[in-house]
Amino acid sequence: MAIDVFWRIPTHGEPSSLRNKLHHRGDWSQQHGDHVVHKGLSGGHDDGFTNLDYIAEVARAAEISGFQGGLIPSFPMTDEPWAISSFLARETSTFRFMIAFQPGFLNPVVAARMTASLQRATGGRALYNVITGGGGPSQLWWGDVAPHDDRYARTTEFLDVLRGVWQGEKFSYQGKFYQVEDAALPAQLLGQEFPEIYFSGSSDAALASASKHAEYYLSWLEPFDQLREKFDRVKERTDALGRKIKCAVRVDIIARRTEEEAWREVRRGFENLDDAARERYKRFTEQGGDSVGASRQRSHAPKELTDYRDFIIHPNVWSGLSLLRGGQTQGIVGSYEQVAERLDDLVQLGADAFILASTPHLEEAYRVGEEVLPLVRGHDNAPALRVVR
Amino acid sequence: MSIKFFWQIPTSGDGRYADAHKRIRGERSDSKPYFLPGVTDPRGRRFNYFDHLHQVAKAVELAKFDGLQVRNDPQGDESWIVAGYLSRATRDLIVLAEFDAARGSAVYAAKNAVSYQRFSGGRFAWQISTEADEAQRRRNGDYVAAEDLNTRIEEFVIVARHVITETDYDFKGRFFEVLKGGFQGPLSGQKVPPVYLSGNDEDAYALSARVADVHVLDAQPLADIRAQIERLHELASATGRPLEVGIRLDVLARETEEEAIYDAKRYAEQSGQSKGVAGGALWRGLTKDSTGASAVLVGSYQQVSEGLAAYAAVGVHHFILGAVPSLEEAYRIGENVLPQVRSLVAGTSQRAA
Ligand SMILES: Cc1cc2nc3c(=O)[nH]c(=O)nc-3n(C[C@H](O)[C@H](O)[C@H](O)COP(=O)(O)O)c2cc1C
Repeated sequence: MAIDVFWRIPTHGEPSSLRNKLHHRGDWSQQHGDHVVHKGLSGGHDDGFTNLDYIAEVARAAEISGFQGGLIPSFPMTDEPWAISSFLARETSTFRFMIAFQPGFLNPVVAARMTASLQRATGGRALYNVITGGGGPSQLWWGDVAPHDDRYARTTEFLDVLRGVWQGEKFSYQGKFYQVEDAALPAQLLGQEFPEIYFSGSSDAALASASKHAEYYLSWLEPFDQLREKFDRVKERTDALGRKIKCAVRVDIIARRTEEEAWREVRRGFENLDDAARERYKRFTEQGGDSVGASRQRSHAPKELTDYRDFIIHPNVWSGLSLLRGGQTQGIVGSYEQVAERLDDLVQLGADAFILASTPHLEEAYRVGEEVLPLVRGHDNAPALRVVR
Repeated sequence: MSIKFFWQIPTSGDGRYADAHKRIRGERSDSKPYFLPGVTDPRGRRFNYFDHLHQVAKAVELAKFDGLQVRNDPQGDESWIVAGYLSRATRDLIVLAEFDAARGSAVYAAKNAVSYQRFSGGRFAWQISTEADEAQRRRNGDYVAAEDLNTRIEEFVIVARHVITETDYDFKGRFFEVLKGGFQGPLSGQKVPPVYLSGNDEDAYALSARVADVHVLDAQPLADIRAQIERLHELASATGRPLEVGIRLDVLARETEEEAIYDAKRYAEQSGQSKGVAGGALWRGLTKDSTGASAVLVGSYQQVSEGLAAYAAVGVHHFILGAVPSLEEAYRIGENVLPQVRSLVAGTSQRAA
């Protein structure tokens, strides 16, 4: 089994490097914790471009550089992946749109029709990152009142119905959250590829749902042993259902020609942290919500911000990334060779796919595609045909 | 007041001239070659219906319509996906997407709509309709009772409007609930999609008076439309909200009336409706199965233009037009009818001034 490698789409606007946040792409930026909206892509005046035009360029860079496609996240402050995918369907060739969404927000019969139409619009390039919400107040912000374990049960039912409708025979279902009677996709929408499902969530309820429906269990990078144990657990549970599941890791990387150069990026970013970022870090270590995954991440965080090296938890693994940009904390830092080796280590402990990211996503898509991906061996243990330099 | 002309995007199949048979243009099956074996077919499976829809949208734009309406047909492609796909391909057109309030969370719909606005420069609009047939609703996973459908639409629109325009918004209704809702930062300050509702009964009118921007009437003779508009305006002025009126109407216009009637009759025969469709210029049900329109305005370019202008004169400001085949007819109507209607309407309003 060869490894699938995806990129990530920065729907959150982004600085042109992790060293500081001076320049921004997209029509907005996250400065000092505030969300500043710019007119136009270049900032300041309305030039007729929007964030989508930058996103389009990143997607093109990813497909040109050999990525399968990209994960398009879904957060309260960012543009929605269903919208992005339908708008960019015609503008990309091989890029696969990995749509992050919470199934609870859509009627599954409508979602089936949306998905089949998107497959028709893209030539079968849509797939899902099924997420189930972090709970806490933000779940109610979305208009969702269901508690944690119910949300996963609803996710399972949603996917039951979606699969049922997809077959094209009249499908009926009596669930706790969804009922349908004699539902089927219309004839012209039949025969499309069912979207591959990447499933995120760390709790037991999540694993139960994932083991029934997902092709890939998707996790953030975690300490390697912990990740191995998690992947083993997911695979066991799925085996017990007579299914097979693969595992995937969503990880940011900072790869440079030398390890020293890579760490310099981290160090410069760390030195440039302002008070607002320090305050955010403090809040992060104290945060609430019922996400099991997020608290697994928090438990590795040092209490004080003194030296970037305090965040090195494994060779080439830095756990302070959320200081430099919003989001998840652990990333791989090193030379091109080291980053490729760490990715291969992850393959050895059970990963079959990656979703990689690096800032700025446009230039880094080319760098990673050109410098790192050619060094990754995947499951192929034969010595790679490495270019002698 | 300006008049807006929309052209309907045929999400579930289109037709051809002299052939009422519905077809999925651009698509072909491996099992049934389209050409005889003696002729090569270079297309393979490279094209599908979306390529045709793209062509129709470009035609609508080049023929100088104001917008396109993406029909929600449960037997066809999903309207939001089609709307996004076509928005990126067009520059100035209003993109009016029709959907059912059973599609899911109002907050999620509103959030997606904000992205559509950001990506399209504020061209996105909503036409929310209900499915009258209960069996079809159940096929759509919708078990809400018929008498509650309007309430759900009302809550849907209220929640969507507030989360787009406010923060810290709380709502607890029968169908939707939100706590401290509202889009911020880059997603703030976007235009709420104008809301088009429809329906031909008193409840539907009252709902529109409360929450719609435009009420879309089914095609009816002028006198009926005039009466319905009066009623709508009465209800709207009681709520103190502005409410405009639209009409969903198909058109079959030819150089001469004779040609138009010939084509209308042939269409009726081919679609198995041999009697009882004609009724003056308005042919009831002629294209209902194909486009969903309750009637077709049939006549010469002059007659159809005058017919549309007459509706405008009684207060119709949004024309959601359609015809089979969509692409060819978009050009025909854009070239031969719209300019005339526009000048007739301009003339009338000048005289009135
Ligand atoms: C790789 C990965 C990507 C995620 N992407 C998103 C996202 O785009 N939007 C979001 O709201 N949550 C996202 N989540 C969070 C999940 O929706 C969910 O809140 C989290 O996994 C909590 O579930 P748990 O309690 O089972 O861990 C992601 C989680 C993971 C592991």
